[in-house]
Amino acid sequence: MSDRQDEKLDAMLRARRVEPASPDLAQRIVLKAQSLPQNQTLPLMPWLRQLFAEFHLPKPAYVVVSALVLGIIVGFSTPDRTASKDEESASVQSFLDADELPL
Amino acid sequence: MAAGWPDKDDQELLALIQDGGHQAFAELVQRHTERFYRLAYRYVQNRETAEDLVQDAFVRLWENPASWRPDRNSKFTTWFYRIVVNLCLDWQKKKRPMPLDEDMPLADERESADEAMIRIQEQRLLEKEIAALPERQRTALNLCFDEGLSNQEAAAAMGVNLKALQSLIMRAKITLKERMKAYV
Repeated sequence: MSDRQDEKLDAMLRARRVEPASPDLAQRIVLKAQSLPQNQTLPLMPWLRQLFAEFHLPKPAYVVVSALVLGIIVGFSTPDRTASKDEESASVQSFLDADELPL
Repeated sequence: MAAGWPDKDDQELLALIQDGGHQAFAELVQRHTERFYRLAYRYVQNRETAEDLVQDAFVRLWENPASWRPDRNSKFTTWFYRIVVNLCLDWQKKKRPMPLDEDMPLADERESADEAMIRIQEQRLLEKEIAALPERQRTALNLCFDEGLSNQEAAAAMGVNLKALQSLIMRAKITLKERMKAYV
């Protein structure tokens, strides 16, 4: 095949005729769509991806550090109830012991 | 009609469409209707049918906006070319090819009557021979020559690699040159 043939064929292919579209085609499409509802159902995988995206932590390191600091603060601010628990258990034990005394 | 969002790219408009944005849809339609109409016309050679097919493609996008997946589809036009081509091919499978328009206007009114006649015959024969090409060769020609897509873009729209596309175009051109010997 010669170059001249190639050029001629390329020129013919580029010069193919297209009848112009109606000037209001785009408007017709938009009007048609306006009368139709959208189907918002997501396929399973995109739905799952969207669901996980809701729980996405933008800066996980900051979140972990903040949670630790908050935990420490809450831990220190809670009153120490260890002693009172011991007292409670001792009184319960003494009650039980008293209850078991022979009549 | 569209408020006009020339600053928004197609992906941004599609995100708005997925949230039910009519104006974004109108902008997208205004922006791309002409090019997809031209592509459809290449396949069906009839204005009304080409318009119906393009309308159908856009309406499907509106009704099922989730069919556009930004994570999977790199570019809207590349993806939508494929949608339009598939609709055209489906249409062709259902219907017999339309006869070419007998009243095809002259491409250049300054031509003499003889030149014009030869040109019209050339165009008719070319369309007939392109319509007779295998589906993939025809699509490769339509995307590369008519839409002015780069080979890389056309390959992406067809879902083939670059070498396969070049091979399709080469085979199509060999066939056309052979069948149009009298004109090329």
